[in-house]
Amino acid sequence: MAEALTHAPAHGAGHGSDDHGHAGGHLTLQYHPGLPLTNGKLIVWLFLSTEIMFFAGLIGTYIVLRFGAPTWPFPHEVHLSEPIGAFNTFVLICSSVSIVLGLEAAKANKSSAAKGWLLITLALGSVFLGVKMYEYNAKFAHGIYPWKPHSLIYEKADLNYAAAVRLRLEALESQLQAEETALKTRLEEAKAPVDDNPQIKVIRKKLDIVTEEKKYEREAEILAATSPDEVVRHDSLEALATRIMPLAAAHGAAASGHAESEGLNEENPWLHLPIRIPGGNMWASTYFLLTGFHAIHVVVGLIVFVIMIPMTLNATRAGMVENVGLYWHFVDLVWIFLFPLLYLF
Amino acid sequence: MSDHAPAGVHAVAHDHEDHGGIAQYIYVFIALCLLTGASFFTYSSYWPFPKQPKIGWAFMMSVSCTKAMLVILFFMHVKYEANWKYVLTIPAAFMSIFLILALVPDVGLRGHWASEEREQYMAEPRTPAATGAKHSGPRGKKSAESHAGGESH
Repeated sequence: MAEALTHAPAHGAGHGSDDHGHAGGHLTLQYHPGLPLTNGKLIVWLFLSTEIMFFAGLIGTYIVLRFGAPTWPFPHEVHLSEPIGAFNTFVLICSSVSIVLGLEAAKANKSSAAKGWLLITLALGSVFLGVKMYEYNAKFAHGIYPWKPHSLIYEKADLNYAAAVRLRLEALESQLQAEETALKTRLEEAKAPVDDNPQIKVIRKKLDIVTEEKKYEREAEILAATSPDEVVRHDSLEALATRIMPLAAAHGAAASGHAESEGLNEENPWLHLPIRIPGGNMWASTYFLLTGFHAIHVVVGLIVFVIMIPMTLNATRAGMVENVGLYWHFVDLVWIFLFPLLYLF
Repeated sequence: MSDHAPAGVHAVAHDHEDHGGIAQYIYVFIALCLLTGASFFTYSSYWPFPKQPKIGWAFMMSVSCTKAMLVILFFMHVKYEANWKYVLTIPAAFMSIFLILALVPDVGLRGHWASEEREQYMAEPRTPAATGAKHSGPRGKKSAESHAGGESH
């Protein structure tokens, strides 16, 4: 280094190297960067180090919230399927392999093969997102949202919960009665038989269910509001909540049955009655936040793949494939932790 | 990016090409699949500790950390990188740990300091009565165990 500075200060004093030689009496210096990696890779790693902190913050907050909570829902209560989660993990692992094989192909100057591997990665990432959309849809269909008024989740079966059930049943009754009246008027104008009409029969059947549930809810609510016995007050509302959606008895495959296969809401999905899931609101907030941010990262990766696939992915672009691969492996890495934390804990 | 890097950078980057090759990727892939199967095993009815969730959690986190290390070391090639990897990853890892620890007093232990008013609206710990009262009438008697409090699973 000192020699280089003495003899040839103009040849990059800041990038001094010892492996120089003398050619024709002149020094020939070789450029060495400060760090032994390309600028692009350095930037990707700096970005990934901020991403480590970002996801560690999210996952860490989830862990702290989850273990500090008085209770937490079982996966089946919030319509989480462990086999689907395991399948998505497998899909992301496969995509990690395909991107790394794409890098090897690019390094070997096999552009077509590299493009093929990138295409496979793109397809696998899309499968992951498709499965995620299916899972989100299952939650939305059961009224599990991270925000009101869409969310039907209540933390406990108390009088607030009973009042919410009552209001929903009253709204349903009014809606069904209005539908029945409108249909009846239309049929009478057309001089068609009313009582034999299949649509009228369906509406009346629904009205019967609503009327029965209203009666049950009223009895439970009055009991909870008036009984001098705390145990009776508690149990009357518990029974109402359990009738609408029973809680799972245990975790995982050892459960005595899937909670979602029973209960009024499951038997009559149109009811959309408020549901009691202890810890469900915090679960929904953390689940959608974690999986949502992860899905955004997957989408960004897929967009980059779409941009890169038309390019010639030969050895000169191997660095670019490697950088995208680093990002994609990180996305896989995050899911490796999210899968057990969200689906199996 | 690398297209515009000086020639020396390419030379340095190529130093790291000797790292196991495709066979190694396949071995890592198989290991990752087996480890995913191992985490999933805790969900199956064959898992020997269904009543002790902490054993399952520790097992799953160990499996996840192993999987993460395999991806980082072999797919991200960190095993073959120079010492700069420590400069970027160790401070980030420490910051992550501090971030989590900073949340424990106020957030993790929030249940210990909840006001009476707040407790009224909080979810109750899971009890046998909550799962066992399926389709019983509103007049069903609450079992004695339901007052004993339950452990969150």
